[in-house]
Amino acid sequence: MDNIRHTRPLAEGFWTVSDGGLSLLGHRCASCGEVFFPRRKHSHCPHCFRQTLEEINLGPEGCIVSFSIVMIAPAGEFYRGPVPYAYGCVDFPVGVRIKGLMARDDLDTLDVGITVTLTVETLYVSDEGMHVETFVFKPQKNAERKSDEAAKPHA
Amino acid sequence: MSIRERHQVIKEVGFTGIPIVNVENACSSSGSAFRLAYQSIAAEIYDKVLVLGVEVMPRGPIPSTAFRPWELASGFNVQPANYGNLTVRYMKSSGATLEDLALVTIKNRKNGMLNPKARFQKPVTLEEVMQSKIIATPLRLLHCCPLADGAAALILCSRRKVKNRRRAVNVAASTLTSACYGEGYLDLVDSLTYPPAEGFVSLSARQAYEETGCGPSDIHIVQAYDTVSPSELWDLEELGFCAHGEAHRLLRQGYFDLSGELPVNTDGGLMSRGHPLGATSGGQLCEIIMQLRGEAGARQVEGVKVGLAHSMGAGPNSSVTILKT
Repeated sequence: MDNIRHTRPLAEGFWTVSDGGLSLLGHRCASCGEVFFPRRKHSHCPHCFRQTLEEINLGPEGCIVSFSIVMIAPAGEFYRGPVPYAYGCVDFPVGVRIKGLMARDDLDTLDVGITVTLTVETLYVSDEGMHVETFVFKPQKNAERKSDEAAKPHA
Repeated sequence: MSIRERHQVIKEVGFTGIPIVNVENACSSSGSAFRLAYQSIAAEIYDKVLVLGVEVMPRGPIPSTAFRPWELASGFNVQPANYGNLTVRYMKSSGATLEDLALVTIKNRKNGMLNPKARFQKPVTLEEVMQSKIIATPLRLLHCCPLADGAAALILCSRRKVKNRRRAVNVAASTLTSACYGEGYLDLVDSLTYPPAEGFVSLSARQAYEETGCGPSDIHIVQAYDTVSPSELWDLEELGFCAHGEAHRLLRQGYFDLSGELPVNTDGGLMSRGHPLGATSGGQLCEIIMQLRGEAGARQVEGVKVGLAHSMGAGPNSSVTILKT
């Protein structure tokens, strides 16, 4: 019996582990400063149209702007994770809003304005026994609700 | 529906060699088709064009595929959850409560009682809305419009070929926009560095007002896009009928009732009619036309001379049409 846990990411190149720990990977335009997640397939910036995208680490934490706890299974059989589940948007200090799943064991503690930390969870186990992993946002322990200002997008 | 199925609808009537163009633009499909018909008549290419919105919907939530594969696998294609995210933000910025959202459903279902073609013709109470099943927080079943099969047909005609001028209705404006840079809408991901100066709904309305030379205060009735109850509120604000955060207060005052200053969704809206995507905006236009002609029966609003219909959807697209007597 093979006891090794076989994993694969839901999509390649979304996150990286370096000395600083887990971080999402994105692009920043050296010309206009716009930030993107995930990294773009093509080299041009869709804001200023220059070909000056540079890869950057987006960091490990941000602030919840909105979320929804989904009580029904999505249609189309694309999603194989648990139900209920939650997804929403998190603003990262580097200046990007990122849509992602919320950690599955923390649905009760979700709130707008709280700080969440990036982590990686198994979304589902494939028919071949492969653990398919994705990035999720996990509320920090004893997460205190920041002021409303913190939930607003950076100007 | 596929192209083949749509052609089959016309085949039942009889093929004639007249060109048929299938227009797929999500929830703005028939509004987009209406605009193309309007443009081809305005350009004097055709004198008469039939716009036909037809849709047969699956049961349950819409299996939207307007997302990338990893987003579909992450379960991001639940439209009530996408609207749930937008609702959370809207409630925070506008001060609207869950009860305010329920009042939209209650108003529209009340109007739907007077529409013999509505899918739902029974009213709902505040308790029923607030205790209905949660679909995706904060939205419950009765905050969401039902799906329905449906069809709507409109004939556009050049001014010189109109035979019955008494019943004819004038197209004052027909606009269509896609998202402005930095606007997330149902994708939810807005640009933090370069947010749009004006959203695509507001832009489509402004273009329509500029086309007609009239403004929001000149509109007598509105068909707003109530795919979920809060979307009617932010829609009315984006269309310029009131300031941001004001719609729920006006709603409570009865401003948008059938007997109010600005009746909204006089036929019961999507909440009562249901949402046959490709036929939805055509259905909105049919209601405006019936009201302009004084043929809306028990739900007829007195003295309607100008009406506005708005639909929007995945893409995203936003379509505004203004019709006049």
